[in-house]
Order: sequence, then C-alpha cells, then structure tokens
Amino acid sequence: MSSTPAIASDRLTKAYGKKQVVNDLTFRVNAGEVYALVGPNGAGKTTVIRLVTGLAFPTSGSVSILGEDPHKRPAVRRRLGAVVEAPAAFYPYLTGRANLRLHAALAGGVKDARIEEVLALMELKHAADRKVGVYSLGMRQRLGVAAAVLTHPEVLILDEPASGMDPLSLHLVHGVLRKAAEEGTAVLLSTHHLDEVVAYCTRVAILEEGALIDEVNLYDRRDRYRLRPTSVADAVRLLEGRPFVRHVSARGSEIVFIPRAASDLAEVTRHLGEGGVGVLEMQRDVFDLRGYYRERVHSERVRRTGTGTNGGLPRFPGEA
Amino acid sequence: MGVLLRMEFAKLWRLSSVRFGLLVLVVFPLLWAYAPGIFDVYGFFIVSAYQVPALGLLSSMQFLLPLLTAITAAELLGVEITNGTLPTVLLRPVTRPNWLAAKLVAAAVYPFIMLAVFLAASLVAGAQFGFGQFIGGTGLGDAGLLGTGVLGAGAALGELVRGYFLAAVALVPIAMLAVFLTVAFMNAAGGALATLSALIVMQLFIVFPGLEPFLLTTQLQAYSAPTADLTWAIALIALYSALFAAAAVVLFERKDF
Repeated sequence: MSSTPAIASDRLTKAYGKKQVVNDLTFRVNAGEVYALVGPNGAGKTTVIRLVTGLAFPTSGSVSILGEDPHKRPAVRRRLGAVVEAPAAFYPYLTGRANLRLHAALAGGVKDARIEEVLALMELKHAADRKVGVYSLGMRQRLGVAAAVLTHPEVLILDEPASGMDPLSLHLVHGVLRKAAEEGTAVLLSTHHLDEVVAYCTRVAILEEGALIDEVNLYDRRDRYRLRPTSVADAVRLLEGRPFVRHVSARGSEIVFIPRAASDLAEVTRHLGEGGVGVLEMQRDVFDLRGYYRERVHSERVRRTGTGTNGGLPRFPGEA
Repeated sequence: MGVLLRMEFAKLWRLSSVRFGLLVLVVFPLLWAYAPGIFDVYGFFIVSAYQVPALGLLSSMQFLLPLLTAITAAELLGVEITNGTLPTVLLRPVTRPNWLAAKLVAAAVYPFIMLAVFLAASLVAGAQFGFGQFIGGTGLGDAGLLGTGVLGAGAALGELVRGYFLAAVALVPIAMLAVFLTVAFMNAAGGALATLSALIVMQLFIVFPGLEPFLLTTQLQAYSAPTADLTWAIALIALYSALFAAAAVVLFERKDF
C-alpha cells in the first residue's frame, strides 16, 4: 500500500469575507478507510467536501487527492468518484441511464456493461429508462452513488449520502461503500446520521465552527471491552505490552482494553487468571457516539464562548 | 472537447428560452406579412416575399434579437446552476476553461441558428407576395425597400442572407457578454438582465462625441452597412467577443462552487 494518503488536508482554511468557514483543518484519509465528517449545521462539512474535491479554492492551506492538487491536476479526478449535492444532481430531462452515459462519456473509458452493472448494483434497473425528473429523492441519491462508483474510483467523496433515503436504500448504499473500502477505496463522507457512522466508518472527525475538535478512531472504539477485575492495578500490569492486547487502561474499578482480535478474549481472561487476577465481569464497551458527540460539541462551545448552552446540549432520544 | 460540444448543443434544444425564442421568431414575421394597416402606418406596400425578412430584422435588431440572445446565453449556464449539475460535471476530469469554452461556442452559434430560423420563417410568411423578381428593394440593399429598379430573386436572396449573417455576427458579442455576466452573478436572470442593461446604457453613450463608432450597440447595424465599412465593424465585434469570452473564462476559473 502506498504511503501517500488518498486524501490529505493540510491546515486547510476557507474564509468568505471575515467569516471563517473552515479553520486550519488537517486530516488524512488512507486507502481502505471510511472517514466521516460530522458536526452541527454550518460546521463546514460541505465546504470541506467542496475544497477537497477542488470545487472551491482554499484561502490558505492545501488539499491533495492521491498526492495531486485537484486544482492544478484535474486529471486526478479520473480516479475520484464524488457526489457533492444532496440530492445528487442530474439532468432531469434525461433518463437515469442517459445521465450515467453522460458521466461515462465525460470520464472516458467506461463501457456500457459497467453502466448496467452499477444500475443493477444500486437496484435502479427498473427505473433506468425513466427521466430523472420523476425520480424520488432516494432514487436520485442511489443514482448519485451509481455515478460515483462508475469508474471504479480510488477515492470516493460523498456529501450527505444518506439524505432522503429509506432504511433499505441506506443499507444498500452502506454495503456498496463498505465493499468499496474493503477493496481499497478511500471513502470520505459527511453526514448527520451518527448511527450510520458507528455502523461502518473507520474514523470520524467532529467539526464545529469549521474547526476539527476531535477525531475518533471508531475501529478502536468498536472493539473495546470493559472488564472488572479483582485488582485493577494488577490487571493493567499483566495485560500491558502483551501481543494479544492492543491497548489497556484503567477506568475507575474497571479496565478498558482492545484485543488484537476477538478470538484473543479467551487469552486475556486466561492470562489474568494465571496472574492471580479474577474476572468479575466483562462486556463489550459499546461506544455511544451520540453522547460523545454531544459532549464534545458542548464543551467546545463552552471553551469558545465561555458560557455554552444552558445545561448543556439536550440528550438524543435513547442516548446512553 | 468533442464530448462537451455535443453535450452543449444537445442541451441547447432543451432550453425553454430557445423553444420560446424560436417560436417568437416564427410568429413575428406573420405580423408584418399580414398587417392590415401597414400602408396607413408606414406608407408602403409589401410587394415581394423578399421584403418581409428585412422588415422583421429592422424591427427586431435593436431589442428583440439581443434580448433572445442574452437570455439563451445566460440560460446555457444558468440551467446548470439551477439543476445543480455544474459541480457534477466539474468533478469529472474536465477542465473549467474547456467546459466554459463549449458553452461559449454554443452561445456563439445560437444567433446563427436563430437568424436562420427567422429568415426561413420570414420568407414563408411572405410567400403570398411571391418569390419572383420585383420592382423595389429588399430593405437590406441600396435604397431600402424602394430599391433601384427590378431586383432578381437570386440577388434579393443574396442581400437577405448577407444581412442576416451579419446580424448574427453582431449578436455574438452579446452572447459572450451574457455568459460573462452570468458567470459573475451565477444566476441566469441576473446575467441576462445585466446584459440588457449594459446594452441600453451603451446606447446612451452616443451623446459623447466620437464614441459612437466604438460602441457595441453601433455594430448591431452592421447588417445594413456597405461592404467597404464592414472591416471596422467585424474587427470591433471580434474584439468585443474575445474580450467578453476571455473575461468569462478567467472569472470562471476562480469561482468557488
């Protein structure tokens, strides 16, 4: 795998007049990753997407796609698939298939068979000869994803891909993006659907007022376990540095650890037992992104304004 | 570039302003051909089908044709903004100058299409007066509609084609200006309105002595100019067109979408 990140943003800043929309944003997305941008409305997610795709120009800082500046080297867009409008924008007087043919002509080197393949992939075969103007919101979004993956891109960038989608369509799109990532495509998306993020994203960047306030590695968070041992200090000492554990730390009367693989859990308990530490309770540490997100956004507002929201931001329904 | 040009010309026919504009230009000559009070108002009779096109052109070149040109040129870009397809296309390996150049070519060709339809519709509208030789003029040659004697069908048609072609050429900088102003405002209505406003203001500049030969609006009369005076008019039209087109490309290159 190349060491060049698929998408790189270095100290990216965008200002419209005196209003700073994106502020000193640095992040990397590697091949095979699904990286999500989340944040409140107006946090700058769409602007970041437009800057990264080369549709907008940064005030300062730089972006690169596969090591190339998309402004200076538009040819790099041959390796990029993107949907930057929600819903995805198409010529309404053309059919779904004709719109994809147009994309294929602009991209060059796409065979008709591939158009049929992506139509089938996004379950749009039945509507392929209908004009896009009569498509539902969800169908247009699916056609957007079909257009984005048309050229087998190495980088996929999607602004609000879940917007207007029913659960089945959403599941379909998730599957396509997950598969693309598994095949080595770097995926950058912006979304408000935190459940969607937890389900299949690798890392998530939380934006507030155009700045990156946190970057969470969901791969680690998803695979965390909480364990209540008879001795926290001994448990940490016994597990630290062991090959079957990637991370271990104390948290009150518990320890939190990440096994190298799920199959290593038995090894953890066996090792603790051999060291004389009993396991009172062990369970998966379900990461509550919604609660985490709420806290991070709230604390950032408090830090920035000195006051924050009265009583913090309201909890999400069903939040842990 | 070939793909982009094909795309733009295919889109041209779908623009509502093109459909409406061409319909107006088909109906408009009928007003002259079937006007019952033409003698009472203007003091002449139409005696040949070859006179109807000149009447149409004379009465539309100052406002109607620039209006239709400006609206369509503005809509060529504006429809992309409305549909949201502008970013969609720019995300493909297409350079901004190439994409806008295809639009500028379509906008520049449109006046020729429009004038060809207008000429054909005018001749058909005037068919009742006959297509043979006649005593008088087409209105676009020497001595206007009165002419200098008997005018053959071939000569009459030649005068009309020359006049209509020059009229289309004179409309090209207006199309370029409309594209440029639409890029500036990122709005079709704003672009078309600003173009017409600029033309109206420019017409007022004739009050400044010596300025009139340089005005874009003066070149709109090129269709009736003697051949000897055409070099200056064509040079100015080309200069205006190139300047507006270049300004549109430069501005478009720097726009955020």
